[in-house]
Amino acid sequence: MVEQAPVTDHSPQSTAPPDEPQHGQEGPQEPLSFWQRWGELFMAVGVLVLGIVVLVESQDIRVRQGVVVSPRIIPQIVGAGLVLVAIWYVIDVIRGPHPGGAGGEDAEDVDPEAKTDWSVIGIIAIGLVAYAALMEGVGFIVASAVLFVISAFAMGSRRIVRDVAIGTVLAVGIFLLFDRWLGVRLPDGWVASQL
Amino acid sequence: MDALGSLIDGFSVALTPENLLWALVGVFLGTFVGVLPGIGPALTVALLLPVTYALDPVPAFIMFAGIYYGGMYGGSTTSILLNTPGESASIITALEGNMMAKKGRGATALATAAIGSFVAGTIATLGITFAAPFMADIAIDYFQSPEYLALIILAFTTVATLLGRSMVRGLVSLFIGLALGLVGIDALTGQSRFTFGNQQLLGGIDVVTVAVGLFAVGETFWVASHMRKDTGEVTTVTDSKWMTKDDWKRSWKPWIRGALLGFPIGSMPAGGAEIPTFLSYSVEKRLSKHPEEFGEGAIEGVAGPEAANNASAAGVLVPLLTLGLPTSATAAILLAAFQRYNLNPGPQLFDQNPELVWGLIASLYIGNLMLLVLNLPLVGMWVKLLSIPRPLLYSGILVFAGLGTWAQSQSVTGLVVLYVIGALGYLMRRFDIPVGPAVVAVILGPMAEIHFRRALQISQGDWSVFYNRPVSGTILVIAALAFIAPAVWRAVQARRQHPAATT
Repeated sequence: MVEQAPVTDHSPQSTAPPDEPQHGQEGPQEPLSFWQRWGELFMAVGVLVLGIVVLVESQDIRVRQGVVVSPRIIPQIVGAGLVLVAIWYVIDVIRGPHPGGAGGEDAEDVDPEAKTDWSVIGIIAIGLVAYAALMEGVGFIVASAVLFVISAFAMGSRRIVRDVAIGTVLAVGIFLLFDRWLGVRLPDGWVASQL
Repeated sequence: MDALGSLIDGFSVALTPENLLWALVGVFLGTFVGVLPGIGPALTVALLLPVTYALDPVPAFIMFAGIYYGGMYGGSTTSILLNTPGESASIITALEGNMMAKKGRGATALATAAIGSFVAGTIATLGITFAAPFMADIAIDYFQSPEYLALIILAFTTVATLLGRSMVRGLVSLFIGLALGLVGIDALTGQSRFTFGNQQLLGGIDVVTVAVGLFAVGETFWVASHMRKDTGEVTTVTDSKWMTKDDWKRSWKPWIRGALLGFPIGSMPAGGAEIPTFLSYSVEKRLSKHPEEFGEGAIEGVAGPEAANNASAAGVLVPLLTLGLPTSATAAILLAAFQRYNLNPGPQLFDQNPELVWGLIASLYIGNLMLLVLNLPLVGMWVKLLSIPRPLLYSGILVFAGLGTWAQSQSVTGLVVLYVIGALGYLMRRFDIPVGPAVVAVILGPMAEIHFRRALQISQGDWSVFYNRPVSGTILVIAALAFIAPAVWRAVQARRQHPAATT
């Protein structure tokens, strides 16, 4: 059901009893860096802020006189729930690191030891912004090909000619399939008008 | 209504050449996308949603039946060969199956998973055939708004708390989803709320955008920023023989036991596809003549859990079709697909749209058979997909995520929402917060609100309507137990394991 599989470690010794999945990693651990230990606190505070925003914003919902059920009540329940859960979360983080948490769960493509590579995230973000910016003016095909190439570059691909070729073929293929054949409207632009 | 008669009518819908073709396309695409590493069943369905936009409802849902089963099947192939569980219910398949593959028994593991999925899928589809009309009748007789609200609360509780590793993180995810679900037009008063003045947000935040943002964009950020430098190797399939006589002997009972565990649990109006797979694993371990092989690649440990996983995924369709209640992220996206066609799953759907419902159920039988016929020979091709260079794979996922969002929203605002949710998904992944509860909450939250208000309006504002009615009261008690029980259980376990520990 949940896509992120809470598996901590795929090494053979930990595979033995999956009957108790909550005990992923135990035993001696390396001392955690400041961010590993406390970064989660920012997440928890973020949830708290979200709850407060929901509570404050729900005051803007107009309530007409004489209604049986106030339209504010569900947003208020959600906001209060967020605040309570956030407080619980803060306490949980302060009490100790989540066993196997802080990015511990993983699949084979991920190196759990690796430090977060922020430059990769930054470059992909540039690709996504370019995608949104190019979409309406220049069209789906160019936007998609640009996103593909930038993102592949960010993840370490250096065969740019190949990536441009694949990205273009992919984008044109998707456009023809969805826009021309399946009738899902996509922004066209100059390239598409040549097809 | 006679279930068998309806089913025969369903087959007459599904067996037309055109619909058979759509089922085949669905199975093929579902498997194709589901096999790709990093794409679980929920994302498979979400990314393939635009393909069906041009179709009429009946062929669209016939295709969905194929995509759903194909995505499940594709996921198990990836788990076995790559040890990347696409979803938590495949963890065990990933563990035992990958051990088998590493010992050179990959083909056998794939075969027992494929045939087990077929056996379990067939048993479970039979279960749907008879359980669904029965459940729909119960719903018509006993369920009104208070009961629906109680069921939704039960689903929230179980989705967020059962078997996640941390209850508070499941709840965080749930409430984030509920908050996202608030955005848009208030269904009862028609005023906008939480849109921050943005016209594009009036329609609300779509569950498909949330699923694609969390599963595709967030996941891509996560994997890309922690990419393994030495690419994880695909365990090759070296054995030529599918299954020996002994393998069959060791597999058939786990298949059936897995299906019998998986279907009833999956069809309960509560979340938790992992539970039957874990149960099946421990049952097989206990019953096996070779318990020492478990953890080292025991065939029973693949056959049973995989069957349980498939049967419970099929079971999830029972509350979805009869109550309109999705209990998994994948089901939440299927519900969104129904809503796109202005169809509201629920007991009335069986009366108003029997052609669609029974055509869909009949297609599940057909899709299941197609999977087996298609995939045993095609497995070599699927295996090749696993070695796609990761930069290209994840870039392609991003392109499809953008496509899916654009097809849905037709606006740059939709993309911005996608990115924001993607960033959130990255953080959730980073801090081990499950994303499934958020996806379910985005679609169930607004439904809960409607039932809540409707119930209070009928009762003239008397809150006792929720607990004085026997059915809704009982369901709420069960929900409370589901909330408290794991916490108590964990406390007891923690005390037993670390007498004085605070970790």
